[in-house]
Amino acid sequence: MSIDSNYAHPDALVTTSWMADHLKDPGIRIIESNEDILLYDMGHVPGAVHIDWQRDLQDHTIRDYIQPEAFAALCSKNGITPETTCIFYGDKSNWWSCYALWVFRLFGHEKVKIMDGGRDKWIEEGRPLTREVPHYEKTAYPVPSKRRDAEIRAFYDDALAQSRGNLPLIDVRSPGEFKGLVTHMPEYPQEGVLRGGHIPGAHGIPWKQAVNNDATFKTAEELRKIYQTDLGLKPDDQIIAYCRIGERSSHTWFVLNYLLGFDKVRNYDGSWTEWGNRVGAPIEKSL
Amino acid sequence: MSYPAKLSAIIELFSGLPDAEKRETLIAYADQAKSQEPREGESFDLEDVRKDEECTDTVAIYLRLDEQGGAHFRISLGPQVQTLTRAMSSILCKGLEGISPADILEIPADFVPKIVGAELVRLRSQTVYYLLTRIKSVSKVWLQRQRNETQDNNG
Repeated sequence: MSIDSNYAHPDALVTTSWMADHLKDPGIRIIESNEDILLYDMGHVPGAVHIDWQRDLQDHTIRDYIQPEAFAALCSKNGITPETTCIFYGDKSNWWSCYALWVFRLFGHEKVKIMDGGRDKWIEEGRPLTREVPHYEKTAYPVPSKRRDAEIRAFYDDALAQSRGNLPLIDVRSPGEFKGLVTHMPEYPQEGVLRGGHIPGAHGIPWKQAVNNDATFKTAEELRKIYQTDLGLKPDDQIIAYCRIGERSSHTWFVLNYLLGFDKVRNYDGSWTEWGNRVGAPIEKSL
Repeated sequence: MSYPAKLSAIIELFSGLPDAEKRETLIAYADQAKSQEPREGESFDLEDVRKDEECTDTVAIYLRLDEQGGAHFRISLGPQVQTLTRAMSSILCKGLEGISPADILEIPADFVPKIVGAELVRLRSQTVYYLLTRIKSVSKVWLQRQRNETQDNNG
């Protein structure tokens, strides 16, 4: 199966088949990012390095991402230069690989791609896994001048202004979470949210609508129908997407940004674990 | 209550390991998860096979009681179950072997971070506690059935 050339940026995806043929290409770094903390250790795509969303990308003291110095150190350790094409893949239909890709974009790393279908598709097709952890020569990744929070990241105040201004907010959680019937994902334990519901005015478009059963992304035509024809979004709309902690909304951010070409999309990573706990935050419920 | 001897030994093993070796040992236990599945010809006193809201895939717990009243568990896990949970299935099957269901109910869950390590017990890995909860639930059901049978026989 090939990548749909009608995507706005078809080169933001690679197929598993392409990946299998380019494992040793110079200039690329394959990066696995999962929800399952030990999954990489159980076997990964040959040559892939492991970047953990919590250990490697988040500040361990305050709720925030790492600073530019730590990002540069992470890239250097994994043999990545600003010219390296980073190809992300992982479990859970690529939630966490999209999250990691989004964080790389926060620091301005331009050359990023997703392996369509992720880890499950690679395994389903009987492709090789290894437990050998690769070691790449350390690089001197320059410290980015800043984190591009203002461009692709939204904070509470941004989401509130979006809600009050009746601008597009996309809640990508499951229907039960959106309606306020539950405060956790199906099949997940409660993760500490005091109120259920959604940000007033948000549209409930679960992330899953953007993928096929094999975790590959739907075609450009199918995606346009969901987000443009049915929801009425326009490519130049200012859009904020959110979920619980920002990983599922990273997936939708990737779809809107790279596959549909919307260039003013921000991911609200504080998401429902901030909004649903914040004193005085307005909440809407629906039946 | 103190931990059962076999579980204590496993906790002690993990407690002395640096993080990297702890991780490797967890992988080794996860690798053994398949060997904890029910074997052909085995029969059980209680079977609890279900997929519920707390776990991403089906978890089946099988309980057999020996003549001394000691519990022996077999566990089978669906493919989407997390690696940490797989490791915990091996650890619990081995660590709780031969303990009475009543004693299993008394085991505190605070050994889990001692085994797994603080770095791995975090958001989205809380299902590491799930198996112990399910094992306790099976033990509780079995004890209740025993009480009911005793009451019926006495009545």
